[in-house]
Amino acid sequence: MKNRLLTSVIICGMFVISSIPVKSQDLDALLEKEAKPETTLATATFKSTRIINGHSVERMKKHQLEFRVSHRFGEFNTGGYNFYGLDQGTIHLALEYGLTDWLEIGVGRSTFEKTFDGFAKASILRQSSGARNMPIHLSYLASTEAISSNVDPLLKTISSRLTFVQQILIARKFNESLSLQLTPTFIHRNQVPTELDANDLFAMGVGGRYKLTKRMALNVEYYYVYRSNGNSLPVTYYNPLSIGIDIETGGHVFQIMVTNAQAMREGGFIGKTTGSWTNAGIHLGFNISRVFSFNKN
Amino acid sequence: MNKLYFSVVLCFIFMNVGAQNRYFTKDAKINFNSSTPFEDIVAESNQATTFIDIEKNELAFSVLTTSFKFRRALMEEHFNENYMESAKNKDFSKAKFSGKIISAIDWKSEKPVVVDVKGDLTMHGVTKTITLKANITPGKTKIVASAEFKVTPEDFNILIPSAVRDKIAKEVTIKVDANYTPYQQ
Repeated sequence: MKNRLLTSVIICGMFVISSIPVKSQDLDALLEKEAKPETTLATATFKSTRIINGHSVERMKKHQLEFRVSHRFGEFNTGGYNFYGLDQGTIHLALEYGLTDWLEIGVGRSTFEKTFDGFAKASILRQSSGARNMPIHLSYLASTEAISSNVDPLLKTISSRLTFVQQILIARKFNESLSLQLTPTFIHRNQVPTELDANDLFAMGVGGRYKLTKRMALNVEYYYVYRSNGNSLPVTYYNPLSIGIDIETGGHVFQIMVTNAQAMREGGFIGKTTGSWTNAGIHLGFNISRVFSFNKN
Repeated sequence: MNKLYFSVVLCFIFMNVGAQNRYFTKDAKINFNSSTPFEDIVAESNQATTFIDIEKNELAFSVLTTSFKFRRALMEEHFNENYMESAKNKDFSKAKFSGKIISAIDWKSEKPVVVDVKGDLTMHGVTKTITLKANITPGKTKIVASAEFKVTPEDFNILIPSAVRDKIAKEVTIKVDANYTPYQQ
């Protein structure tokens, strides 16, 4: 009996002791204690859904529609008669929409080979810290391009006009300024210009952005394209290298760049870039995007 | 045996008495509005944690700046990226208020009263003392509180570039709604 009494006194004493620190805590300490363990998602890894030509891990959030106008002038080395390329222009128009916070779809049309395209981009992993720690963003992009140009006599059937693009986008926002992305790419062309061209192309994209100020960032993007017989092709293709600046103004993101690629879709700029930096076959260009919200309330 | 139960029960009663002076909620609403004729800028968080101590007449709020939801996702991104700089460090990720009710309040009355609250508001790493009026309806099992006040972003070192200065209100109106229940540890 005595033992039980002693135990109860000890238990009671423990309860009293355990309640004492709470009593002496101030409200700020209580707030810290009650705050839920938070997971912070890394946002704005890139300013735009494109690093320059290629996709970034960013996408439109749920019910947000983006209207994109991309434009590339002609090649700088076409001389003074063509006003160093500024006389000519290639355009890509696109409407891109966030079905959910992790899935974006889009359609587009390009002057380059009169191409229609459609894509879906899904966010699989999102970089986060706190309660749930995830070091990288991981997204998957699937895109189909259809050439409607009638110049090439080989493109007779609809299927011969199709190009399929698959990309895995792996990105990390290292700090407020620096983000880097790796983009393994697989492109399948149903019809290629010559039998020396491979139907399947593998490429590895590397891209990054460095924030210069709060609303301005420097971007660089390069795709290495694996071509075993690059020298024997009738047309010399080059790897696309682009350098650009992002400028953000409220609802717009304005990207201005210099690139040796004229096309603005993966099948074109990865597979068919003929301009070369070494002989000034480069294009001045810009992307403008405007975002519209279809969220209610 | 009876003594054991009795003493344990006594302990719990003792604990409850000790904690009865504090009320809290984890889902208080904070809404802000800095709209202008050019742009509707409204956001709301319903994840603010707040305590009220009716013995000391103190109250405290804490809310994550990333918990504010905007109608336009881009605006939400800019809010966190460019203005609040939420990811910069731990101090920037939260807005906090810690204050005291400086006018008289009878916690037993259960009638709504308007009180003066004075305290420190911390956001974007800057602390500023503010006074505001709050409506409080005391109760034994529930305390309802609401307040509305204005702050100036520049006071908290939140810089707004001249290009968009006309699109964002000079003073931001902040509304707070909280339903407190007794805090059991």
